Amino acid sequence: MPLSGRRSRLALAIVAGSALLFAALWGRHAIVHAQSVAQNQLTVYSPQTSYSVPLLDVNGQPYAGLVELLEPLGSVDARADGKKYKLHFTPPGGRPLELQFTEGKNKGKVRGNGYKLPANFVVQNGRGYVPLSVTSDLIAKLLATDTELHPAPRRLFIGNVQVRYTLELHKDNPSRLLLGFSSPVNPSIATEPGRVRLTFRHEPIVSSVGENVPYSDPLITGVTFSEHDGLAELDVTGTAPMMANFADGGRTIIITGAPAPAPVAQAAPAPLPPAPANTQNPAPQPRQPATPRFLVLIDPAHGGGDIGAAITPSLPEKDVVLALARRVQHELANRGIAASLLRNSDVAITLDQRATSANAARPALYIALHAANTGQGVHVFTALLPAATLSPQGFLPWDTAQAAYLELSGSVAGSVAAELESRKLPNTTLLAPLRPMNNIAAPAIAVEIAPPAGTVDEIASAAYQDQVAQSIAAGIAAVRAKLPEVRP
Amino acid sequence: MNRRVLVMFAVLAIIALGLAFYALHLKRKVARDEQLAAQQLALAPPANGPPTPVTLYVASDSDGTLRRTQVNVTLPPERTERARAVLRALLGQYLQSSSPHPIGAGADVRDVYLLGDDTAIVDTNAAFADAHPSGVLAEELTVASMVVTLNANDTKIGRVKILVNGQERETLAGHADLRRFYEASNIGQVVKDLQ
Repeated sequence: MPLSGRRSRLALAIVAGSALLFAALWGRHAIVHAQSVAQNQLTVYSPQTSYSVPLLDVNGQPYAGLVELLEPLGSVDARADGKKYKLHFTPPGGRPLELQFTEGKNKGKVRGNGYKLPANFVVQNGRGYVPLSVTSDLIAKLLATDTELHPAPRRLFIGNVQVRYTLELHKDNPSRLLLGFSSPVNPSIATEPGRVRLTFRHEPIVSSVGENVPYSDPLITGVTFSEHDGLAELDVTGTAPMMANFADGGRTIIITGAPAPAPVAQAAPAPLPPAPANTQNPAPQPRQPATPRFLVLIDPAHGGGDIGAAITPSLPEKDVVLALARRVQHELANRGIAASLLRNSDVAITLDQRATSANAARPALYIALHAANTGQGVHVFTALLPAATLSPQGFLPWDTAQAAYLELSGSVAGSVAAELESRKLPNTTLLAPLRPMNNIAAPAIAVEIAPPAGTVDEIASAAYQDQVAQSIAAGIAAVRAKLPEVRP
Repeated sequence: MNRRVLVMFAVLAIIALGLAFYALHLKRKVARDEQLAAQQLALAPPANGPPTPVTLYVASDSDGTLRRTQVNVTLPPERTERARAVLRALLGQYLQSSSPHPIGAGADVRDVYLLGDDTAIVDTNAAFADAHPSGVLAEELTVASMVVTLNANDTKIGRVKILVNGQERETLAGHADLRRFYEASNIGQVVKDLQ
């Protein structure tokens, strides 16, 4: 049937309309995807730990993942069943508390009571998200403690963790500004002419003396406090180059004038005048070598788009090992051993980046954590490398850096296996061709947990993970004396 | 909008719907055929001639072990073809529905090349790595079983490197290192631990 001109135009309009509709739908999908990639982060400070939670942008509003938010604070069991989302949160030493929400609805239940969200609940890839603005109230209800959210800079304080500071200007020559903190701090420090910037990524620093403090001083002209992107900054401005020194075990930072640079070219050095017996401005002391310390670096494998093994369709390896890593860190802290996590949120890190970061941290021991749904029990691995007599003091080949530490790594693996055995956890000790373990210039082991006898889901159970974490921590504590402390 | 336009719109919609179903049917058919072809490829006898006993080290996930076993395979006379036939026999064990160490459907060895007398380059297909179960032990069992099986049937092969689709890959399925050459003597130690 031939189409008249008017009908042709109508048919074309229908086709074009359909195409536009498809394009709009496809475009919307693409926008959601792009937003989920470009995540911001919420920094959470709790009495036990500080951690980051990736934020999802939904229609211009930041949302936080419930599992990522609550997991470092206790045991979490979450399930999405169609549009229904249920989460059981068990605080340490407490009983399970239930949260229920429905995708696309703003009403839910927390601990059996009705709870209204300021915007609809979101489920994406089986994970539940709530608006950032309610995270503080939710945690307060679950932990029965005070919380404080700074929404714009994305910082959440749980309990009375805030670290406050005082400012004390000493008008010596040159002037000295003493920043006193209520707890030891370890900011990163950046200096440029007339400015020193202290960035606090892990410390819950809050302003206690006003955001801008001006000084009428020939050297130091003011201090500005700011917080943004999950961190806090103290910006000290001045009229000349300045430097920062730590004192009082990290509780005090002293800002003062930097010494003038020595002349570059001199025919012959002029004799120095004798130093005065007592001076108010002592010459800068040579830097003392850092004190050796014993640090265990825990590397929860995978993260971000690299989910690792799918333990169950809704339980990726990356989540299981992050939860286990936090438990191991806690158990090590209980035994007086400092430990840090190579990743403390759902971020992607390449194998080479992991090795580079681990070697830069100069740990006394590196542990990679993995999980699998095949086999049973716990597998403890050391690197599969040919025996080599490399000097740890010299340069090490990247691909076989671990070879110099195999003996110590084997001792740690044996000790952890013995602790697993004593807790009647099935275990195997093996060599494995596992990266980035081969590239680690420190004693290193990898631990892979498989489900205990029972269902695969039990791999994420608090009881099982606690037993494994205790075994790992006890095994490390037992051989601590053998492992050398390292200067940072 | 008059009745004729509505009818035309309905006809167009029905045709579009029919085409969509047909496209879906074709897509499924192609995927099914490819999977079937891949499975048949891995299990097919490689050559004519009398079957020869070959030694396989077969992995088992339940207890994390490698078990030595013998099967009869028709082997071609050429050395690299023989190596490929042996590895195909091993993967054939893993592709069976009752396998103690299942790997992804369609996994196959595309080619085996020899570098000098003692180094074998095993080129696997994408399905071998893409669909391999992820896990340190699971991946190590696969790699170890391939290396020692090759060495057991051709003792001159002392080093093995595994490629995927002709390319070097960082890991098999997120864990086992595929950038390195595996020494049969080192893997031998692992196999002792796994037996």
